Amino acid sequence: MDSYFINKPNLDRLARSLSKAYRVYVPVKSENHRFYKKMGDEGLDDAVIGEIRTVQTIKSFYFPARAKVSEYFSENIPEKKSRPIAVIGAKSCDLASLKVMDYVYAQDSFKDPLYVSRRKEGLIISSDCTMYGESCFCVALGIMPYPTEDFDINLSEVGGGYVAEVGSEKGEALVKEYSKLFQNAELYIEKKEEARKKLKGDLLEHVKDKKIPPKESIQGMFKKKFNSDLWDETAKTCVECGACNMICPACHCFVLKDQSSDKGFERLRLWDSCLLMSFAGVAGGANPRKLLAQRLRNRFDKKFNFFPDIIGKFGCTGCGRCIEACPGKIDIREVLGKL
Amino acid sequence: MIDNPYKPIKTEVLDICEESSSIKTVILKPEEPLHFKAGQFVEMTVPGLGEAPFTPSSSPYEKQKLEISIMKAGRVTARIHDLKKGDIVGLRGPYGNEYPLSDYEGKDVLLVGGGVGLAPLRALFLALVHDVKKYKSITFCCGAKTPSDLIYKESVLDKWHQLDKSIELRVTVDKKDKDWKGKEGLVTTTLDNLKVDLKNSVAIVCGPPIMMKFSTFKLIELGYKEDQVYLSMEKNMSCGFGKCGHCRLGNFYVCKDGPVFRYDKISSIHEIWD
Repeated sequence: MDSYFINKPNLDRLARSLSKAYRVYVPVKSENHRFYKKMGDEGLDDAVIGEIRTVQTIKSFYFPARAKVSEYFSENIPEKKSRPIAVIGAKSCDLASLKVMDYVYAQDSFKDPLYVSRRKEGLIISSDCTMYGESCFCVALGIMPYPTEDFDINLSEVGGGYVAEVGSEKGEALVKEYSKLFQNAELYIEKKEEARKKLKGDLLEHVKDKKIPPKESIQGMFKKKFNSDLWDETAKTCVECGACNMICPACHCFVLKDQSSDKGFERLRLWDSCLLMSFAGVAGGANPRKLLAQRLRNRFDKKFNFFPDIIGKFGCTGCGRCIEACPGKIDIREVLGKL
Repeated sequence: MIDNPYKPIKTEVLDICEESSSIKTVILKPEEPLHFKAGQFVEMTVPGLGEAPFTPSSSPYEKQKLEISIMKAGRVTARIHDLKKGDIVGLRGPYGNEYPLSDYEGKDVLLVGGGVGLAPLRALFLALVHDVKKYKSITFCCGAKTPSDLIYKESVLDKWHQLDKSIELRVTVDKKDKDWKGKEGLVTTTLDNLKVDLKNSVAIVCGPPIMMKFSTFKLIELGYKEDQVYLSMEKNMSCGFGKCGHCRLGNFYVCKDGPVFRYDKISSIHEIWD
């Protein structure tokens, strides 16, 4: 689709204007990490559009960690009418995770009302990574450190502004509406491509020593290693905290919990973790994954075996968040390297 | 506007009766119709406490109410056992697939059930009996740990025998007591000397994992092909529609791709009997 150039002051104007119709979330930096923050009067002053992904995942916006999904026996949950969400600065790894989340919550036979409405009404202005983090390995899974699809507008930082690529009808309408803020991008396209190429090359070099198998052979190698001692070995330092699940942009599992309320009872949907003993167990005591090693293997099974069969994509986007979150220092890249 | 899939239907407990020391049958009347087919399951809500999955045990042709036989096994089921006539619960569903009855037509149909696994098979049995002429024969093998653990006693020991001459019931208990006049032995022992034409047969198995495993192996040993054996799998079904992830079995979710599986579709999956 079409590309335009937008300078930094104009992007700030755009973001401020969007905040009338949307709750706008932008990445800001704290120490060496980036976090989404709801944009206020400061506009994009402290926003970090480039660099790398935030600590929290984009899924939280559409699939919150805790959501009330039903109340007593009434059809609708009185949701506080709030503006839809616009995310600025989402990275390629997070957009890739939406392929998994959309399949589960918006495309399968049963659709999740909250997810569908938030995705439909939301706006995504993504951006290229301008560097890589130590734990980043998206390229090893065939995902580029710059968005190629699933955005409304994508920003590539270049020459004191951004090349703004339109990725959807919603994005196109937005550029039309704010056409005064956008200029011709011709002069910047080449620079953008150069920057992308360089970062991709650097990142490929960075992940080389992890010896991750070529993406085409990961699933087959996983199947072969299903009954190996790799899982016992890897599970040695796992403390079953579930952090890898919580921080993963493509982990979609949840648990339903009911609690008493003024209306009688309410049903909450909470993120769940397949590393926990209770995950697959039934009341009678049967549990197909009693051993921690089985549960750890299950996480890889789901990501590198199940989803490739079901949607032709990995359930992992190479964001590396689980590597940073794991207190047992389990590195998903190293596990893949041992397949 | 998408329907809220998490919302239960308000349901009245019409009655509750004891089947055994650990199993009770609740008779339920949902406010809105909930038409299930034999084999499908529902999620039952105890208000404020939570949900659990159950396969109804009544005839799917009974449209006004449904019956669910429930073993006391955990938090939710313990509370269900304390329910009284007139109490309010919730139901969601039905979920999953049903037994493919049309595939069973003209065949010798064998049902093998153990313990509370007789519950889904009762719904299937009643559905088969509803069109009894469509099937060549129906053999129902029922097992229980002890005579006092045997559910639907009156039916399996007496009433169902008299429904049609094509119906045979074989009942056994793992360990008999002084009053038990019937057979003693595991349910697999009732599978000897079946009066069926193996080439034109299907078998449906439901029960605790270990019973399903050995019954299935026995059927295969007897000459049933994998694609003639149907299993009602039980995993930790929670949402009921393939989202929450708890009941994944290989590339399937038991809640939406099952709970009824033809054995050949799942026999290569690790973890099926655990």
